[in-house]
Amino acid sequence: MEKKFGVYICKGCGIGDAIDIEKLSNVAIKDMKIANCKTHDALCSPAGVQVIKDDMKDGVNTIIIAACSPRVKYEEFAFAGTITERVNIREFVAWSQAPKTEDTQSLANDYLTMGIIKTQKGDLPEPKILEDLTSTILVIGGGITGMTAALEAAKAGQKVVLVEKEAQLGGFANKLYKKIPMGAFYREPLIVDTDIDKLAKEVESNPDIKVYKSAKVAKTDGQPGLYDVTIDSNGNSTTEKIGAIVMATGWKPYDASKLDYLGYGKSKNVVTNIEFEEIAKKNNGKILRPSDGKEAKRVAFIQCAGQRNANHLPYCSSMCCATSLKQAKYVRQNPDATAMIFYIDMRTPGRLEGYYKEAQNDPGVMLTKADVTGVSEAASGNLFVEADNTLLGEKIKVEADLVVLATGMIPTTREPQEYLDNLVKEAAKGDDAKKAYLESTPKPEYILNLAYRQGPEIPSLEGAYGFADSNFICFQYETRRTGVYAAGCVRQPMNMSEAQEDAAGAAFKAIQCVDHAARGVAVHPRAWDVTFPDPMLIRCTACKRCTEECPFGAIEEDEKGIPFYKVNRCRRCGTCMGACPERIVQFKDYSVDIIGSMIKSVECPEDEFRIICLVCENDAYPALDTAGINHKQIDPSVRFVSLRCLGGMNLVWVADALSKGVDGVLLLGCKFGENYQCHFVKGSELANYRFSKIGETLNRLQLEAERVTMMQVAINEYDKLPDMINEFVEKVKEIGPNPFKEF
Amino acid sequence: MAEQVIKPDLEFVKGVMAAGGDSLKKCYQCATCSVVCKVTPDKNPFPRKEMVWAQWGLKEKFQGNPDVWLCHQCSDCTAYCPRGAKPGEVLGAIRKQSIKQYSAPGALVDMVNKKALLPLIFIFPAVLLAVLLSAAGTFGIPEGDIVFSKFAPIRFIQVVFTPALLFGLAVGAVGMKRFWDDMKKANKVYSGDFMTSLISTVKDIAGHNRFKKCNENADRFTSHFLVFYGFVAAAIATALGVLYIDIMGMESPFRLGYGTPVKIFGNLGAIGIIAGIILMMSNRFKHAEKLGGAGSYFDWLLITIIAVLGISGFLAQLSRIAGVATIAYPVYFIHLVFVLSLFIYLPFSKLAHMFYRGAAICFNKYSGRE
Repeated sequence: MEKKFGVYICKGCGIGDAIDIEKLSNVAIKDMKIANCKTHDALCSPAGVQVIKDDMKDGVNTIIIAACSPRVKYEEFAFAGTITERVNIREFVAWSQAPKTEDTQSLANDYLTMGIIKTQKGDLPEPKILEDLTSTILVIGGGITGMTAALEAAKAGQKVVLVEKEAQLGGFANKLYKKIPMGAFYREPLIVDTDIDKLAKEVESNPDIKVYKSAKVAKTDGQPGLYDVTIDSNGNSTTEKIGAIVMATGWKPYDASKLDYLGYGKSKNVVTNIEFEEIAKKNNGKILRPSDGKEAKRVAFIQCAGQRNANHLPYCSSMCCATSLKQAKYVRQNPDATAMIFYIDMRTPGRLEGYYKEAQNDPGVMLTKADVTGVSEAASGNLFVEADNTLLGEKIKVEADLVVLATGMIPTTREPQEYLDNLVKEAAKGDDAKKAYLESTPKPEYILNLAYRQGPEIPSLEGAYGFADSNFICFQYETRRTGVYAAGCVRQPMNMSEAQEDAAGAAFKAIQCVDHAARGVAVHPRAWDVTFPDPMLIRCTACKRCTEECPFGAIEEDEKGIPFYKVNRCRRCGTCMGACPERIVQFKDYSVDIIGSMIKSVECPEDEFRIICLVCENDAYPALDTAGINHKQIDPSVRFVSLRCLGGMNLVWVADALSKGVDGVLLLGCKFGENYQCHFVKGSELANYRFSKIGETLNRLQLEAERVTMMQVAINEYDKLPDMINEFVEKVKEIGPNPFKEF
Repeated sequence: MAEQVIKPDLEFVKGVMAAGGDSLKKCYQCATCSVVCKVTPDKNPFPRKEMVWAQWGLKEKFQGNPDVWLCHQCSDCTAYCPRGAKPGEVLGAIRKQSIKQYSAPGALVDMVNKKALLPLIFIFPAVLLAVLLSAAGTFGIPEGDIVFSKFAPIRFIQVVFTPALLFGLAVGAVGMKRFWDDMKKANKVYSGDFMTSLISTVKDIAGHNRFKKCNENADRFTSHFLVFYGFVAAAIATALGVLYIDIMGMESPFRLGYGTPVKIFGNLGAIGIIAGIILMMSNRFKHAEKLGGAGSYFDWLLITIIAVLGISGFLAQLSRIAGVATIAYPVYFIHLVFVLSLFIYLPFSKLAHMFYRGAAICFNKYSGRE
């Protein structure tokens, strides 16, 4: 594309009061040689936008708008078929600097220069739309979540393939005697039929849903819009063309044999909540205990049977409290029977609080907070529950006919994850250890069997306890495998009605995914982005860093070890760009060269300090905008450069900046570790890793290590951020000017 | 603390719920009630713990439990309860269970306070009186000036009502003793001198000191004070009557047309009872919404007895002054029926609180907990 430039400077929102607009215009006109530079009192107004549109009629196709943050007014400033660059001189300059000072002016000048350079270096992106795309949704798991997801997708007009490993649909709900009613209010009866067979019938009779029962996914190959999924069912193997996947494989109960301290395994009359359902179902509601078939009239429920316990499950399984209340109502079908519930905390979130209240109103449902210290045998098969710190006032012991352990949920993803993680650990010790591990450890059931370089399953994540979660704060359903959306208890512990909501959400994310693939646009979070990584492979050394570091497993290798992208898996974070030592990864508007050139364009006068601050666009940038909106003052020596993700940070930028005379470099990424908030899961963590290698560069330049710092910031920390930045600037000023300035 | 084997009793739970504590199960043990309560001791405060014991049907916990009787049901707790569990009402219902336990035979407590048996509660003393009066040969409307002793001779009153009152007091006293012993058994006695405690208790009751601590329902002080001292005045007037007639051989101080000091004193008592009980009733309706209802059947039975007793007594006097025999004698008969009811049901109705609350307040001081 032959570029024809136009620079448009807005004077509104206080910009004209803070910045000398004529001087700023001269940066475009004189320094950057763009004669077509216009100013306007309110560029976002229809009249202002018309100025740009009129120029477009005259052939302007590369538009630089110096006005407000790109996070606002994006509809007004959307000009199809152009390169449009927004230069943030409102939040970053006018609203966070002293008006009309020389420092403020040079800051605005630098930003405009950087924006112009970005458009000069960049190109108009064309979306990459792959051929032979399909939009069929695969749902793995035929429980309440999977069936709901399949129906929701079918209702939205998609073709659906449903894979269920059991011989019939229904999942865990098949084991239940009754369920908690769904609806706005909880009133008696508090236990109702699950009606799971009706849902199964609806799924099986839907012409748009193809159901495989007694089936497993043997292989998932390809990428969103282009998956080839091999399904093994009753000895047959079929391959289906799939667009996106909803993973609804649910959960398994925690292994109660580890709960011997609660009497499990010692007495037949200590059962899990799942076994209790089976008893109730088998006897049509009568609670006949396993040891002697006698009706249990005093039933004790022990909550958190392993949950919220560091030795068992560190998390809350969310549904067990309500389940025990429901099961207490099974017991109470006999009006003379009592159900005693021992809890650490009753956790019935949301509307279930109403269920708790209703169930508690039953005189035979007795509740107390308690630390159950043990379950011991009493006469004739009965049991004593012993508890301390009860609300009843002391250590108590109560006799029961039957004890139910409210065991928790383990996601079906956990076993494969643990197996694979341990395999990696053993493999690192050598081939013998790996071989021994493979021989000694039974291979768990895989779910996806991805034919991905990074492994067959969703990778594990610190703090996710094996659940298929990728960013619990911002995007539910997303996993670290683009195109695979987790729903229901495989994602997070939840109850049936929550699972159904989840199912609909994940189904719509899957539909969105195939839609974006069809348009050649990235999926969340850069859901507008038509650029894609396009490496200059001729210079690739097959070092494999990109393939290993991609948070989404988007990069495969050919037989020579040369990487190639499965572009529909890519989320355009640019982590590969940060990984590549050869700096060959580039996007049309984002590359090592583009960002590097922008940084190098910053003026470094001898008598002044200059700090480059590389900013994550997802958390730090919005926080800086908010700081600007709140008119928080930031040191004028700082230049912010926005990155898609700090994971894309290439060390050469730091080296270039410092050797040019920049006095300090600050990296602003999002939180990583246990409470990570990275939109690309691993970006800021990788940036931190790369940052740890910066010492070599600084040593080479003989510069102080303190000149470069990385900070973690959350989107809501706008109030702290200016101080954090200003303190860093002060520290750099204490060190003194960069000696390279003189060169 | 030593481990304790507990035995949940579903029937006890149902009993409390049926006796006016139907909100019992709503409690989720936040202990707001124990925090807002003005009359609870700081150590092991009520009513939070009583709520969970009752939910679990731990009736043995209420054996010798002074705390349910330390509560005056001012209902501060009920007003602040975030879940509508009405601890005040529940404790009231538990007190009924406590009366059942100590006033022998306990079954009478249920019978007296059973809605279905309501007419019987009054038909029984009415028939009894009618039969006795017929036996005495005075049942009917006498001729001439209205003199109530023509209908029910003084001797008759003494012979029938004194044993009735003594019966009520004796049952109550036995129950109080059993309760006292149970309290001693269930609670470690720390310190305290019995006589000092007793004197302090009498002072508390006389001054209605505990009532004064209430916030939400401070009007109850006035109404209970009026009824309480109304009865005290009536009792003194009656005693003076006995003194005049039987001991000093004088004419009745209550005779028509004479405004003796004793009679004036008795009338002041009557006004106190009537004014107090009307205030009590209006308070219950006034605060019903805030304090979780106007009360249970158990409450209203006693209120009704006292109200009818007071009003009928006063009406009998007025109709006597007016000289309408056809009204005066029947109304007087009603008055006697309700006085008799009050006496014989004394340990089985809510009035039994005079024994158990008194004992509990005293024990609380005696044990040094207060």
